[in-house]
Order: sequence, then structure tokens, then C-alpha cells
Amino acid sequence: MQRRSLIAMAGAALPASLLPGIAEAATTELKVFISTQERPSVMRQAFDEYTASHKDVTVKLEAGPTTSEAQAQYLNTVLSARDSSLDFFLLDVIRPAQFAAAKWAVPLNSAVGDVGKLMATYLPAYAAADQVNGELVALPGFADAMFLYYRKDLLDKYGLKPPTTWAELVDQARKVTAGEKNPQLQGLSFQGAPIEGAVCTFLLPYWSAGHELITNGKYSFDVAAATQALDLWRGFITAGISPRTIAQTTTEDSRQEFQAGKVLFCVCWSYAWALFQGKNSAVAGKVGVAKLPAVTGGTSVSCIGGWQWGVSAFSHHKPEAIGLVRFLSSPAVSKLLAVNASLLPVFADVYQDPEVLKVNPWFAEAGPVVATARSRPTTPRYNAVSEIIRTDFNAVMAGTTSPAAAAKNMDVRLRRVLS
Amino acid sequence: MTRLPAERAERLLGIALVLPALLLLGGIVIYPVLRLLGLSLTNLDLSSGLPERFVGLRNYFDLWSDPTFVQSLTTTVILTVVTVPGGMLAGLGLALLANLGFRRKWPVRLALLMPWAMPLAFTGLIFAWFFDGEYGLINGVLRLFGIAGPIWFNSVFWSFFAVSLTIIWKSSSFVALVLLAGLQAIPRELYEAASIDGAGRWRQFRGVTLPLLRPAIAVALIFRTITALQTFDIPYTMTKGGPGSSTQTLAMYIYQSTVDDLALGRGAAIAIVLALISLVVSVFYMRQLRAAT
Repeated sequence: MQRRSLIAMAGAALPASLLPGIAEAATTELKVFISTQERPSVMRQAFDEYTASHKDVTVKLEAGPTTSEAQAQYLNTVLSARDSSLDFFLLDVIRPAQFAAAKWAVPLNSAVGDVGKLMATYLPAYAAADQVNGELVALPGFADAMFLYYRKDLLDKYGLKPPTTWAELVDQARKVTAGEKNPQLQGLSFQGAPIEGAVCTFLLPYWSAGHELITNGKYSFDVAAATQALDLWRGFITAGISPRTIAQTTTEDSRQEFQAGKVLFCVCWSYAWALFQGKNSAVAGKVGVAKLPAVTGGTSVSCIGGWQWGVSAFSHHKPEAIGLVRFLSSPAVSKLLAVNASLLPVFADVYQDPEVLKVNPWFAEAGPVVATARSRPTTPRYNAVSEIIRTDFNAVMAGTTSPAAAAKNMDVRLRRVLS
Repeated sequence: MTRLPAERAERLLGIALVLPALLLLGGIVIYPVLRLLGLSLTNLDLSSGLPERFVGLRNYFDLWSDPTFVQSLTTTVILTVVTVPGGMLAGLGLALLANLGFRRKWPVRLALLMPWAMPLAFTGLIFAWFFDGEYGLINGVLRLFGIAGPIWFNSVFWSFFAVSLTIIWKSSSFVALVLLAGLQAIPRELYEAASIDGAGRWRQFRGVTLPLLRPAIAVALIFRTITALQTFDIPYTMTKGGPGSSTQTLAMYIYQSTVDDLALGRGAAIAIVLALISLVVSVFYMRQLRAAT
């Protein structure tokens, strides 16, 4: 009794000046995890824009490793422990199916109203990637796709137009490197290290020749086509167009080598463009970007990437996080990211926006490439699919396995996962 | 008559004193191991979306038809067979060297401690750079002599060689520390007696040093073998298991199964297999040691 009255007295004695402090503590801090490659400083601008009009929310940004697998490892560790320390996250386009299966993301259906209508406003690939069995797992943040970057100055010097087939690329690379006599200059850089980018590298010629991993829900891996795809990439190394160290080359390595002026052609993602034109680039103003070459007799295809905003199922601040994620997946933010970081928009209209085109004239041609780019298979066991493809692809690039043996091995292992 | 309550109080005190240690042991060893064992008997796979279900020993049977498991197991065994004797020999050499009467002891001791004090992942990253095909120190030095070094991580053999060499370098220092303690416990008089009897350096080593060093060698061997079976950090940071999956160890496969694939049941089963292998090896060494002394 005595103790209780003492506490009451202490409460009454609290100076009124402390009260605003308590009110301020009621703001919600939302924690997000993104990669350092996803331009945290530009993301911060988008967050700031939201918090300026939502004074009750602040955003704490945690930046992590650049490869998609390393980010997935981090998210997998945090979320399988049901940790509430992250409120929302940025997911690679290949992950929503897994997040839905593991029940790690809050379904956004009720928050957005008519899901079909909303998803129809985005590029078509994302409607399929972000919805799993009718559940809206995440919302598109920005798009990505693979392109062929080339040294415009060098192609011009030899009177060449960007190649439309891989065979043409080989001829051009031979001609330019022979003419330049610069032992530092590689013909072609691509991702040969066992990372997620290598999965797309492998799939480009496989798709270009008209094949799929899954057709109408059925496993349809074509061993002969896979062997040819592996042969094509291995051929660049044996022909001396790509360096023998390509088996250790990650996306960032490709980007940095091209940026340092050591590469003629580079297969890379769209984020590289802004960096090639940036202050620390040896090739600013000398870079061209084109559709990826096709295999002989095939069509030009690209691999769609892109990053999706999702809300953690373990967050203690779900309504606030959903509000922010809805803002981040809006046309306004898509435009902000396009203008300030050259990140590809997820809305077809934004590609035509005059302000966006002023900064990124190449978006006019990039739009159709992104809109028709292919998706990697949507499966909750995507990590296993990716591991199989990138490991065997890497072994071929290192020269420790033949293309035929690797394609057969992929088939045996993929069949276990996909059918 | 009055002794009985006192005895009981003493026993209670004993239990009370042991209890914190028991709770700690239960919390950090017994409970996790039992949980792991239980997990290994389920189909729990977070990417499947299915609820956890008891499947008996299926995860264990599946392992034998899993080519990645067989390859990781083989790699782990070969790595152990190469790096344990390698580390022991290098460590013995270092210990003998450090045991010589140097005027200044600290530079030798420091050189001995350095590899041991370095974190494993850090060691892996440093050596990954040493062995880098383009920018690496080793190929740079070879180039000075006009030799074109291999692209180490493009070859199964050279990747394995690089990883093994790194592990031997790193582990030799632990072995040396254990053996140095053993060496310093050998009484000087034995060597004096041996040299009076006309034994040369080599005879002294064979007749005095080696037999008396046996317990220390056994301790180092047990620790080294178990850590070698559990190798993760160095190949993970140096090669990520590549080229292909040729340098992937069992511990790396556990990580891949649980963290990448989220196949917790399978990962737990491999972890149990690895623990059993370590247990069998330890029991074997313990028996040998007991038979010898």
C-alpha cells in the first residue's frame, strides 16, 4: 500500500516538460535491409520523402552484401529465427515463391484492394512473380534486366555496329582486340562465378534457342540445348575472347573491369549504366548499350531481374510498413529511382517520361527489352534450382567439366527438384 | 545421530553447486543436440510450405543417393588425410625450432602465435588473394622468375592444393604450441645422459624426444582431426566450394542445406552424420592413447 502510493507520488511529481519526449518516442522506427548495390543513398531519398509527410514513421536502413545469394542467406537466417528486427525488405524477383511457402511475408491482398487491377499497372512479368497461389507476396520496387554494354568509341573506330548474334560478337571482338594490340583489353566479360547472375548467363542462349526449363507446368529441360549453351560460353574462353579467370568473375567484377576500360563487351545488369557514366569511370561517354545478341537462328532475349518490397510476417509494425511499401512501389518512386539512380522503372509509362528520358536516353529502347525479358522459374525451391545451374555452369567455365557432362548432371539434379 | 542431517546438507550443497554447470550444459549442449536429432527425423523444409512431419530415417537413406553429399564427404576425408599429417609435421618442426635456445625468445614466439591468433575467415581471404590467378602474390612472384603460374582456382587439383596449404599453415601453429609445451616438460638431464652415452642428435630425438612427446602428439592429433573434419571457413572464403563443387566440405554442405536451401531436416541429418564421424574418430584415438600409456 505504502509502496504503491510512493509510485503514484513519483508519477505526479514528473515534470511536465518530459511529456513531449514521451510523445516523440511513440513514432515507429521501421527497419529495412537492402544491399549496398541497391544504391542506399538514393533509397534514403525515397524514405525521406515518405517520412516528411508521415511524421510518425522513421526508417532505419541496414545495408548488406552485394550478391543476391549473400542477401538471401542473411534474410533466411533472420527470418527462419522468426526475428522481428526487420520490418520490411527488398527481395530479388526469384524469391517471392519461397517467402510465400515459408510464410515470411505478410500477404498484401487486403491492403491493396483490387489486386488484379493494381498488378496490371506494372510490367507484365511482375504480376506473375509477385503473386503466389493468389497471395500478393510483394510489390515491385524497380526493374532490372541484362544488356550488352559495349565500347562505343572502339566499335566506331573500326566502323562496327553492335552485334546482333554471338557469332558476330566473336568476329568483332577479334577484330578490335587485334587492332588495339592492348593485352589488357578483354573481348567479353560475363558472370562465370557460381552466383545468381551465372544462372541468367546460362539461360540467355538456352532461351534464345527457344527452350524453357518448365513448359505449361511440366519439366522440359533440353540436354542438347543446354550443352550448346554451355559450349557457347566455354567457347569465348577457349577462343581467348574472355579471360580464363572468368570462372571467378562476379557481377561486380564485370562491372568494375568494364568501368576501368579493360573490356570491349560486357553482359551486365542495368544498374551498371549509371556507374559507367559516373565520376569514377574511365569510360564515361564511351559506352553504348544494346539488346543482347541472339544465338544463330534464335531470338534476342534478356533475363528479367528486379527487386520487390515485402513486409516481414514477424514485424511488430505491419500497418506502418505496409503503408511505406505501398508508397515505395508507386509510380512516383519508380520515377525518383530512375532519375537519381538510373534504376529501371516497373511501369511502362515511366520509361516514356521526359524527365526520365533526359537523364537516361537509352530507356526508350530499354523499355521493350525489359517488357519482353524472360523470367526464371517461379518455384519455392528456387535456391536449389539456382545452386544446381550455377555450380555446373561454373565447373564448365573453369574447364573442370565438359559441357555435355555438366548438362547431363544438371538434368539429373534439376529433375529431382522441378518434377 | 547428528551426522545424518549434516551429510544431507552437504549433499544438497553439492547439488546446488553443480546445478548451474548442469543447467548450462543442458541448455547449450544437450538440448540443442537432442533438438537436432529430432529435426533430422523430420521432413522440415521451409521452402516446401509443408508442415513438419516425422519421416523416420528417410533423410539418412536419401543422403547415400545424393551425389553432393557423397562428393562433400569424399572431399572432407581427403582434406583431413592431407592436412592433419601435414599440419602435424609442420607443427613439430616449428616446435623443435622454437625449443632451441634463442637469445631473444619473443620473435620466435610471436611468429608461432600469429597464424593461430588469426581468424579463420580472415586467413581464407588473405590466401585467396595470394593464390588469385591475376592479381595474386604467388603468381606475381612466379612471374618475376619468368614462370606463368596456374589459375589456381580454375583447377580441381590446384584449388585443393591451395586450400590444403592454407589449412596446414593455419593449423601448424596450434600443433606447435601444444608440442612446445610437451617439449619443455622433458627434463634436460635425459638429453645430458643420452649424450654422455654417445647418442647423437638424431638418436636423442628418436630415443628421448619422440617417446616423451607422445601424449602431446596424441592431444594435438585429436583436436586437429576433429577440426579438420569440420572444415568450413577456409574453403568457404577461398573457393566457395569451387570450381563446381569440387572443394565443398561436409560442413559447407550443411550450411548450404540449411541456410540456402532451407532444408532443415536434411541439414540436421548431415550434421548428425558429421558428429558421429567425429565421435568414432575420437573414441579410436582415445583407445590408442590408453593402450600406449
